Formats: sequence, structure tokens, C-alpha cells
Amino acid sequence: MALIPPVSAGASSINSTIATQRPSAADSAASTQRGNDFGNSIGSALDNLQASQTKADGLAQDAATGKLKNIEEYLIAASDAQLSTQLTVAVRNKAVESFNEIMRMQI
Amino acid sequence: MTTPFSSLSVAGSGISTMKTWIDAISDNVANVNTVRRTSEEAFQARNVIAESVPGGDSIGGAETGGGVRVQKIQLASGDGVLTFDPNNSLADAQGLVRRPNVDLVDQMTSLVIAQRAYSANVTVFERARDSYLRALEIGKS
Repeated sequence: MALIPPVSAGASSINSTIATQRPSAADSAASTQRGNDFGNSIGSALDNLQASQTKADGLAQDAATGKLKNIEEYLIAASDAQLSTQLTVAVRNKAVESFNEIMRMQI
Repeated sequence: MTTPFSSLSVAGSGISTMKTWIDAISDNVANVNTVRRTSEEAFQARNVIAESVPGGDSIGGAETGGGVRVQKIQLASGDGVLTFDPNNSLADAQGLVRRPNVDLVDQMTSLVIAQRAYSANVTVFERARDSYLRALEIGKS
């Protein structure tokens, strides 16, 4: 269960990456705002994902040690974590796809 | 907190509540023959009181709701039924014992309702999860 490193740690690095990749000097305030917004929303989404993964992990541990009282509690948490992960991966894939599309642009 | 997959937790709250109900019924049925002395209180049947939880998305002034939870477990009266059973070791001088006032038919009916409601909530959970998984396929090529 501890094989996956904490994803929230990656959120701040994504934020800083987005911040460094902004068009440098002449960028408008609006595009800066937009970049930060995307970074923030990705960051909070990753925080949510981290929270649901942690919850599922804790309940899995409870199930293994026999402390779990409601079996459905774990299965719901696990499904929630699974869906959150898939959603995050989907968002990431779309973002990378868009980034690649822009990088392929002829200048 | 509203998550993107709130139906899962709402259906989950239904599942948990129905589980509590089934737990209470199983205890009532298990104690249907628990006899006590007339000087003591009879076994008190457990009744689960459910209440709705506010929450969810607010649309047009009303919320979609946050599910259900057990408000409390109410104990029935301890009066029981005085029964003549002189051979029982707990019988008093008149040969009376106090039997619990648990109606087995009533408990069985409640059990069927609870079981069906449990299944219904599981079905809602599965349908919601299938819908979310389907939504994640939007734009996949």
C-alpha cells in the first residue's frame, strides 16, 4: 500500500513547473492568473485524491488486522479512490496531449 | 464536502444504515426466548431510528441530499409479557416469568425490508459507479 509515493508532494512541483513555463516578461496578468488557476485546481484535485487514497489504505489495514466493522465502508472508499485516480489520470492525459499538440506547432 | 462521486457515499450511507438495522434485528431475534425473573426488566427490543442527512449539491434552493444515518437506537419497553412457566428455574412463587415482548413475525418482516433496502442501495452504488466509469471514457480515443 505504501508503494505509491504521496501524490500531494507532486502537486507543489506541478505548480512550480507551471509557474516557470509561463511566457516570461511580457505575459498579461490574465494568462498568469489562468496558469495559476489550473495549477491550483490540479493541486487541490491531487490533495483530494491523496485523502481518498489514504482513507482507503487505512481501511484496508483495518480489514487486514480485523478491526474493520463495516465491510462496505472499505469497498466504498476503495471504489472512490479508484475513480478519483482514474479521473486524475484522465485529466493528466488530456493536459499532456494538449501540451504535446502545442509543442508540435510550427513556428 | 461534495466530491465528484458523491452518489457513492450517499449509497454507502444507506448500506451502513441498513446493516445497523439488520444487526439490531438479529439481536432481537436471538433474544426472542430470553426469559428473565419477574423482579427484573424483560429483554428490550432494539429499534433503529434513521434520519436523513442534509447536504449534496444545492440546485434551485433545494439540495440533492447527503444520505441517511442512524439517529439513535431506541429500546422498547422492558415490561415484557408475564408467562406462567412453573418449571423454569427463574420462575417466581406464582410460577411466572417475564418473557420479552418481541414479535417474531414483525422482526422477520423488518428483516426482509432491511435486506431488500440493503440490496437496493448496493444496486444504486453499482449503477452510480458504472455511470462514473462511463463518464471517464468521454473523449477517449
